[in-house]
Amino acid sequence: MVVKKTIVVENLKYRYPNTSKLALDSISFSVDEGQFVGIVGKNLAGKSTLCEALVGLVPHFYKGAYGGKVVVDGVEVLNSSIGEMARHIGIVFQNPFTQITAAKLTVYEEIAFGLENLGMDRVEMVKRIDYVLDLLGLYDFKDRNPFELSGGQMQRLAIAGIIAMKPTVIVLDEPTSQLDPQGSEEVFKAVQRLSKEGVTIVMVEQKMEKIAQYADKVMLISEGKMIDFDSPQKLFSREDLENFGVEPPVFTTIAKKLNVKDETTGLYPVTIDEARRLFSL
Amino acid sequence: MNLVDVKNVSFAYSENNFVLQNISFSLQKGSVAIIGQNGSGKTTLVKLLKGLLKPKVGDVFIKGINTKDTTAAKLAKTVGLVFQNPNDQIFKNKVLDEVMFGPLNIGQSVDEARENALRALEIVSLTEKSQENPYDLSLSERKLISIASILSMNTDIVIFDEPTIAQDCWGKTRVKDIVRLLVSAGKLVITITHDMDFVGECFERVIVLNKGKLLLDGSAKDVFSQEDVLSAAYLEPPYITQLCHQLHYDEVFLSPESFISYYESHRQKKETNDAKH
Amino acid sequence: MARALSLYVETNTFLQKLDPMVKLLYILLSILLPFLILPYRVVGLTFILISCLLLLYGKVFKKVLPLLGFSFLILISIVIIQGLFMQSNRTPAFTIDGLTFYKEGLLYAWTLCIRVLDVLLAFALLVLTTRPSDLIQSLVKRGLSPRFGYVLSSALQIIPQMMSEVGSIMDAQRSRGLETEGNLWTRLKAFVPLIGPVVMSSLLETRERAMALEVRGFSAIGKKTFLFDTEMTLLDKILEWVLGILLLISIIVRIVWL
Ligand SMILES: Nc1ncnc2c1ncn2[C@@H]1O[C@H](COP(=O)(O)OP(=O)(O)OP(=O)(O)O)[C@@H](O)[C@H]1O
Ligand SMILES: Nc1ncnc2c1ncn2[C@@H]1O[C@H](COP(=O)(O)OP(=O)(O)O)[C@@H](O)[C@H]1O
Ligand SMILES: [Mg+2]
Ligand SMILES: [Mg+2]
Repeated sequence: MVVKKTIVVENLKYRYPNTSKLALDSISFSVDEGQFVGIVGKNLAGKSTLCEALVGLVPHFYKGAYGGKVVVDGVEVLNSSIGEMARHIGIVFQNPFTQITAAKLTVYEEIAFGLENLGMDRVEMVKRIDYVLDLLGLYDFKDRNPFELSGGQMQRLAIAGIIAMKPTVIVLDEPTSQLDPQGSEEVFKAVQRLSKEGVTIVMVEQKMEKIAQYADKVMLISEGKMIDFDSPQKLFSREDLENFGVEPPVFTTIAKKLNVKDETTGLYPVTIDEARRLFSL
Repeated sequence: MNLVDVKNVSFAYSENNFVLQNISFSLQKGSVAIIGQNGSGKTTLVKLLKGLLKPKVGDVFIKGINTKDTTAAKLAKTVGLVFQNPNDQIFKNKVLDEVMFGPLNIGQSVDEARENALRALEIVSLTEKSQENPYDLSLSERKLISIASILSMNTDIVIFDEPTIAQDCWGKTRVKDIVRLLVSAGKLVITITHDMDFVGECFERVIVLNKGKLLLDGSAKDVFSQEDVLSAAYLEPPYITQLCHQLHYDEVFLSPESFISYYESHRQKKETNDAKH
Repeated sequence: MARALSLYVETNTFLQKLDPMVKLLYILLSILLPFLILPYRVVGLTFILISCLLLLYGKVFKKVLPLLGFSFLILISIVIIQGLFMQSNRTPAFTIDGLTFYKEGLLYAWTLCIRVLDVLLAFALLVLTTRPSDLIQSLVKRGLSPRFGYVLSSALQIIPQMMSEVGSIMDAQRSRGLETEGNLWTRLKAFVPLIGPVVMSSLLETRERAMALEVRGFSAIGKKTFLFDTEMTLLDKILEWVLGILLLISIIVRIVWL
């Protein structure tokens, strides 16, 4: 059986207006349907720009110089509009504070916003809203004004608004930066479940331990270039990771210092389970 | 005299919907982390310490002065607060002006203020951006600018609300260095964070909030050894501590370094033992 | 800081349930009629009275007071300036401290005040008793583009948005030692340097918000649905017709008259 490619990026180059440096430089890769891809890299590497290129904000919103091709769910981004792309791909931005539409007065209606725009049937709409409210622990706040939430609650709302739309591809740009530990664990679990159901996930994260545990593949980006795109074990075992401003999961760091490797694969542990196995004396 | 005294404080944003209930603690110089679930009241608590909000019940004393008897502006000489959302804090069109705003307001001369601002920018390694417009910078840089604009005021109490948001490992290391620097300069550093590894590495004391109530208050080691209580508050210990727990170590380790040295000495012991047999 | 970006007050009177279109028509009438029908001032005053009664009935009158307070500052200055200096001033009315006020100027200022208050109160009626999303929804249902609805509703929200922006920037300033509490003078001193940053960050926020709307399909082609699909009640329809016909008649009367 041939697996469907939901994201195909070919030789993508992009420069923001009034800048001289390429923010994205010759990036090519493809992602299978239902795959969970993590993106790592230091600040200003180009992670958010790549996310914006997938949903069409680059180049439709920002303009600038654009080359190459991005195809999402069979649609070429360049030939479509951002509004139309919303049927295929959703994005959770890095800063939740600017993601509230301000057109709605309650958390409940805020989640409905995207669904209304897509013309979803009302019965289905209510079902999905209830589902994501529950999924993200927002049920008690459903009648609250979105601007009266704590930072983490706002971030949960931003995620809920996109998950409810259930697009083919969901892009999340550092979506758990303000969540409490169990909250971010729950988001990773929920996202993993979505990917098992066939939704393609692209997630930028600084929490390497979580990416190592949940992502199928990890992409390393540095200075606008894609350095590597591989399994978490292989990518985090790279000895030159620090050169790109990325620290591997803490388990990998200590294993590197203590030179503890899996003998059969020659790779370092990246998750707590692997670490437990290799560190038992 | 304590730097901070919180006495039986309760607070509500709207009538009788209390988001903090009967909180009491005192703080001396040193490092304190405040952790807790989303919405547990951490940001509200530090806004009370800063005098931006006033308690509905109970009192907050900063160096013995009741925040109800003074203004947030007067407290600015003593307490600096870095906001959770940098967009709420930054309002000048030039980075240097932003960082100089605080020092100028608390009575420093222009030269003094500039010197302090430049030093603060150097600490966050953003000296070369001093002439830029903060609105053109990325979220991670804006967060560092908001930190610098508090450091430049050189207050005895410094509060960070989730300082590691949007930071990569370089930025996180920077923040850790800043916390250590302030502590060694004899200041009280209060930090809200969800990054337990950061707490384990940098903080002596940990206060845990749960649904507006004070759940735990103790040394980092004490707090993180109570895995069950933490889990009930939607928290977890640092990854290293979890690993030690899973490996059934008796001791609680909070940082990778302490784990490494423990493991190395044990490995050697085991090897010599194996060699003997 | 409360950052509620809306002036809407949920008091559950019939005004809140009224179709936004009816309220828009009311605004239109209250702007046009005092121009179209002759005893301008009487018509204007009548509308002011009606608006006040409605606002009281809708339990939102309290919210109008700050708005009125602010506009009184402007209105008083209009009265003074026109009363003293209007070109066509001929007949002295009274003299204070050697300054002579003239009838023509005062009368003109009085007319102006009536118009401003009339429009202000009619808009207040809409803003205070309508959810922003209901307004968009009502317009979209009548075939207007949602973009127009959003622009209109955000124009109406400019004041609360600016107020919340002022709130958070003021927090940022007093946290860093600028006194913003205290007497009027202190507050005024703190307020002036706020204007630049508030405009700046409002603009930026608008830009980022536009992105947030776009990626959630705001301009997607195709039919939209609505979470709360409010049907127009009989009362809505009757009122819409009555106000519409009233508008039409007054326009016709005015044309025939001339
Ligand atoms: N302006 C406000 N108006 C009304 N309620 C608010 C407001 N700000 C916060 N709250 C509520 O008060 C409670 C505590 O909020 P607070 O911001 O202190 O939480 P927090 O512990 O800082 O959370 P987080 O980790 O998500 O930042 C939450 O339930 C929140 O929804
Ligand atoms: N709106 C913008 N205008 C101009 N340059 C930008 C803009 N956003 C990002 N950049 C630049 O693009 C590069 C990549 O940034 P970004 O994608 O935000 O990185 P990351 O998300 O990995 O931190 C950086 O050099 C940054 O300065
Ligand atoms: Mg980014
Ligand atoms: Mg908070």
